[in-house]
Amino acid sequence: MISLDRASLRYGPILGLSPTTFELPDGGGITGLLGPNGAGKSSLLQLLSGLLPPSGGEVRIFGEAPFRNPAVLARLGLVPEGDRLPTGLRADRWLRMMGELSGLSGEALQAAVAQALQTVGMADRAHLTFARMSKGMRQRIRLAQALLHGPELLILDEPFNGLDPEARLTLMALLRDLAEKGTRILVSSHILGEIAQLTDRILLLFRGRLLAEGTVTEIRQLLDRHPVELRLTGEAQALARWAVEQPELAALRMEEDAVVISVRSPRDILPRLQKAAAEGGIPLRALDPLDLNLDAVFQYLTKDHA
Amino acid sequence: MPIYAPTLPPAPDLSQGHPPALVLLRFDLARLWRQKIGRFFGFVFTAILLIQTAWIYAKFLMQTNQTLRPLEEYSKGLFAQGADFQASLLNPTMYLLWFLVALVGGGLVARDSLYRVRPLMYAHPVAPQDYLLAKLGFASALPFAILLPFALLPWALSLALAGVHGPVWVTAPLRLLPAMAISSILMGSLAVGASSLASTPRAGIGWVLGLVLGAGTLTSMLHGLTGLRLFDGLNPVMLAEAWPQLLVGVQHPLVAWVPALLGTVFHIGLWTFVAASRTRPSEAVI
Repeated sequence: MISLDRASLRYGPILGLSPTTFELPDGGGITGLLGPNGAGKSSLLQLLSGLLPPSGGEVRIFGEAPFRNPAVLARLGLVPEGDRLPTGLRADRWLRMMGELSGLSGEALQAAVAQALQTVGMADRAHLTFARMSKGMRQRIRLAQALLHGPELLILDEPFNGLDPEARLTLMALLRDLAEKGTRILVSSHILGEIAQLTDRILLLFRGRLLAEGTVTEIRQLLDRHPVELRLTGEAQALARWAVEQPELAALRMEEDAVVISVRSPRDILPRLQKAAAEGGIPLRALDPLDLNLDAVFQYLTKDHA
Repeated sequence: MPIYAPTLPPAPDLSQGHPPALVLLRFDLARLWRQKIGRFFGFVFTAILLIQTAWIYAKFLMQTNQTLRPLEEYSKGLFAQGADFQASLLNPTMYLLWFLVALVGGGLVARDSLYRVRPLMYAHPVAPQDYLLAKLGFASALPFAILLPFALLPWALSLALAGVHGPVWVTAPLRLLPAMAISSILMGSLAVGASSLASTPRAGIGWVLGLVLGAGTLTSMLHGLTGLRLFDGLNPVMLAEAWPQLLVGVQHPLVAWVPALLGTVFHIGLWTFVAASRTRPSEAVI
């Protein structure tokens, strides 16, 4: 469905996206595009949504270049970052206009608007002006405009920004539902937790480069290359004695009633630790992984490339 | 590669719609009509039109009705016959039109910039040319549509009441309509270009008024300093007023043919270029 072959984007002398290569297969599913601000997420989405041509390389969606290509644009929906919409307008009128821009008219247009509003749960509030809508409602209308023409690929840039937790969960449920029905969704975010809740497939961007691609589990395995800190609480001396015998140990730090160990390949050492504790071989009261999460992966990977 | 994934519902038929430029133009028009400003100016221009038409009718009565004969001498001053009178059919609206074009046109592109609507549009099958055409079309069609009855209604009334002897020439629309079109495109392109420079609708209005007044002041200064009337061609207000005069053959038009042609081409070209540059997809990125 999506394929990039060394696609890059420059804004004059500034490199927005380094030559990037990846592919997303056909069919439904959600892919998270992760990266801090300035990582190149929006640049990548601009290429994919046909707003800009690549400065180098090739971008193909549905087998064709998306830039100014109505055949591709008619099959994708874009929800750019932000929640602002012209305040004086009524949502239903604006949606009808956006539907017409996609080539809908007459009964097909009415049906598409009604369907999109139903999907985003705004059917009974579409007569309101944007000024009278909350951020979450406006975000849902923005999503509705992208759904009007039944896109196979939906691209959302930071859709959870500024949403309260309830609206965030609602939007996540909506996206999952769309993905289950066969829509391929690409969501960008700089917050790992959001993406982790939504999908297990991630593209990790940093400073205009694609750092990693794969499932959350696959990316987590990248941790094995880096020492991970674990706090073992209990009788510190005995725990330290056990720890120094482990081949994965990289560093050790004593605390009052705990020992903090830094280990490589935590997936190897954790079962042994569990077994030793269960057999009473070590006086372990608590185990806290200090950085065994996606944030750690992100920090490690970005540190490598900084 | 399947065109549609098997689990997706059938895609709606996207081939029945109207051209995007027409959709956008119609949307802007409907939006203006729903706003108070649209209704207010609609009322004002209708009132002016009715007054003007009433004058034509009064003139006819004065010529045909004995009881009104004493007023005829007085009316001749008001209704100077000839080319000046034909060109003056559009005059009462010109300054008000500039004001309306500034108020409405100033926000046309700026509003979309403020709310970042263009990326949404460009992600649909809408080319930047469609967008620009819609905005220029709307900003130009608005003054043209307002001017249209000012040219046609007096002409039709004059023709109906007095035939070829009426105060309005039988051929007046043939001269006035092209002049109105040129003046309207001039107004529209300037408004859209100025609006594309602004980031809010209010700033857009300021830009239009600033450019119109600024260009007027500048040309007056240049004219005053050099004594050359050539610089009058840079004044958009004078240009808009000069075109009806030029095409109906007024003896001393506000701006002569050559400066009018050069100035009009310069303004339309410049402001269309500015608007095109400022509404490219790269200027409307996410």
